[in-house]
Amino acid sequence: MSEVFLKGVRVIALTQVWAGAWTGHLLSDMGAEVIKIESSTKLELYRRGKEGLNKESHFNAYNNGVKSCTLNMKQPEAVEIFKKLVKISDVIIENLSPRAMPGFGLGYDTLKQIKPDIIMVSEPGFGSTGPDKNYISYASTVEAVGGLAASFGYLGGEPATPSIFLADPTGGMYGALCVVGAIFHHRKTGKGQHIDVAQSEAITTFLPEVIMEYSMNGRIRPRMGNRDAIMAPHSCYPCKGRDKWVAIAVGTNEEWKAMCKVMGNPEWSKDEKFADQYSRWQNQDELNKLVGSWTKDFTHYDVMHLLQKAGVAAGVSFSTKEMYNDPHVKDRGALIEKDHLEGGKVLTWRAPWKSALTAQNPTAPLFGQHNSYVFQDLLGMSDAEMAKLVEQKVIY
Amino acid sequence: MFYKVLEGVKVLEYGTLVDAPFCARILADLGAEVIKIEEPETGDESRRQEPFLGDIPGLERSGLYQYVNMNKKGITLNPRTATGYKIFSELLKQADVFIENNPVKRMKVLELNYKHVKEINPRIVMTSITPFGQTGPYKDYKGGELINESMGAVGFDSAREVDVSLEPIKLPGHIFSFQTGLGAAVGTIGAAINQTMTGHGTYLDVAEQESIMQNLHAMLRYYYYKQVCYRTDVLDRAPAHILKCKDGYIHHANMEEVQWQRFIELMGSPEWASGELFATYTSRAKFWDALKPLLEDWLKDHTMDEIYRASQDRGSAIGAVYTAKDMFTDRQLTAREFFVDIEHSENGKLKYPGVPYRFFDLPRETPAAAPQLGQHNEEIYCGRLGYTRENLAKLKEAGVI
Repeated sequence: MSEVFLKGVRVIALTQVWAGAWTGHLLSDMGAEVIKIESSTKLELYRRGKEGLNKESHFNAYNNGVKSCTLNMKQPEAVEIFKKLVKISDVIIENLSPRAMPGFGLGYDTLKQIKPDIIMVSEPGFGSTGPDKNYISYASTVEAVGGLAASFGYLGGEPATPSIFLADPTGGMYGALCVVGAIFHHRKTGKGQHIDVAQSEAITTFLPEVIMEYSMNGRIRPRMGNRDAIMAPHSCYPCKGRDKWVAIAVGTNEEWKAMCKVMGNPEWSKDEKFADQYSRWQNQDELNKLVGSWTKDFTHYDVMHLLQKAGVAAGVSFSTKEMYNDPHVKDRGALIEKDHLEGGKVLTWRAPWKSALTAQNPTAPLFGQHNSYVFQDLLGMSDAEMAKLVEQKVIY
Repeated sequence: MFYKVLEGVKVLEYGTLVDAPFCARILADLGAEVIKIEEPETGDESRRQEPFLGDIPGLERSGLYQYVNMNKKGITLNPRTATGYKIFSELLKQADVFIENNPVKRMKVLELNYKHVKEINPRIVMTSITPFGQTGPYKDYKGGELINESMGAVGFDSAREVDVSLEPIKLPGHIFSFQTGLGAAVGTIGAAINQTMTGHGTYLDVAEQESIMQNLHAMLRYYYYKQVCYRTDVLDRAPAHILKCKDGYIHHANMEEVQWQRFIELMGSPEWASGELFATYTSRAKFWDALKPLLEDWLKDHTMDEIYRASQDRGSAIGAVYTAKDMFTDRQLTAREFFVDIEHSENGKLKYPGVPYRFFDLPRETPAAAPQLGQHNEEIYCGRLGYTRENLAKLKEAGVI
């Protein structure tokens, strides 16, 4: 077997939707065995799609490489089976509501008695401690409370909600961080850990400019659209075609000169209003209009290549279609197509690094696909025992 | 540090601005020793970026630099000199992990890319972060937050309330650089685990663009599975939007009917809420433009805090649109001790965001201020590499450090 990051690590995943699932995906990419516990009595959002249990596209993207078994945790016998699984595992990850695990009688104190060196990582919206721990959280509310919405929007405009829900992969990655940190520590000390990651705090850790503006200078950082602190031109500009844009970021006077050369040194570029970085920044609204009057006659790809060749940072504002079909993206192989077990294809990602230690994993699991593996191979049940538990809706 | 978890791990950082320095900082937060290498005289780019303490720029006064580089040791070194390269090699030999974010070509010219580094220290874990990766047609293209975000297809669909006549806008600050650094840290620590088990080094090639792509959800799937463009053609999105209230804004995310019902009750069950028009999640999404002014008519008489607390207490999915000021006094962040005070010899004591994780069975340590430029030159060069004080002065004068 080829070398992987996390050889021999077994993770139990009580995860749903995105954040926790993402942690599972990353860990399985790193070579850990991740076993997701699911149940017909409480199907997660992405198993309830109109495409059925196994064809929901988000599930298949976020749970790549993970195994699935079913346990109806409302039944005491299921909880006992879960405990047996804990005994032979290293890590538990979960992003259920903070009441769920204690509700099953599986708070950390109980788990620690079953396996003293267990590593348990939770990913609640606002934390598993504190007065607001039971607040309802979605990615968008977490991002609002985390300070993102207030600082995102057009210059002089209202706060905006991002449509990409970065709170989820961010919380998921912090969760994975805590898992690998705890595993490292465990290898040296034999100690387990009880950890939580507050998703809203995770967002705030990405906004130090906003926090420090207030902390240092008592000011609320305004919404700035594409404006940079000092770079200009620095925005997205309209290109040939409908709704086509290119991003340009000029950082130095040398880059500006290079850009002017690419543009054919138009008369307007010689205006002293744009002579150096300071004056370009002061006059950026006018500058942006003029740059746009140049870009509009080119395709966004042409502008990107022309400027990059001249040493200026420029990039297409990709639609997902354009990005998916881009030659560089295809070359890098970050987006992966796999055959689905029930036919058709599934789109997923590799982890955000290219490494020889990344595991080659199968696709996301069918619902309960690994029941036999988990309950018979790992826990030693006979066919008869397992059949009985299925009939009793314990394995369900 | 914040928690002593990666004790004994030695990290060398050779990066600037956000992604690689934050990746290294995360390891420092968890107890690794991080030595940050900066360019003599000028140092990290982030030292020149606002916000500055009191709006007075200075190498040690950038809030961004201070935040990204807390818990590290700092030295200056110029690897373009023969002696500088020799010193760099020596430091690599003593390191377990090497994190950098220099352009691909530059590391090749410097002879500090993985090909050379693994000759110097075969055991090392090396992590490189670039805008587009170490390979591929764009590997030498310049990035930056705006460019990376655009190329990650995130800019195009950035705002839910999309006006396609306006340019796509980026998220504030360096959000995705931070996220890329975080992802890189996960892989790096994983590789360090393998290193302790097998003694083997490895190389991680991290691309900002690829890290950013992982934030795509419906917009990616709508294209791949249905060839539909999310930005322009998927208009029936969930009714999760920002609304104006008396003293600020709230975010409405009542996805479940029961959450919506509780919110209506909070508003005193107004007449308009009982009709067919807003009866379901789908209809609320469809008729949001009609719903918004009705909601704001009630919200305008209530403060953000009042609405947030009252809604959540009833089990309604409302979020407060917090500014930094709000966060500093928020009861949850206070209870979690999220903000930390850090003492700096020049800047005094300042409040910073801390870490979002809690290791409940470990004591939380005190984070240390970011290093001043060259602050640990003597400790490292004299204390560890055996140079004398006199040598140190000569190295400085010769532009090596």
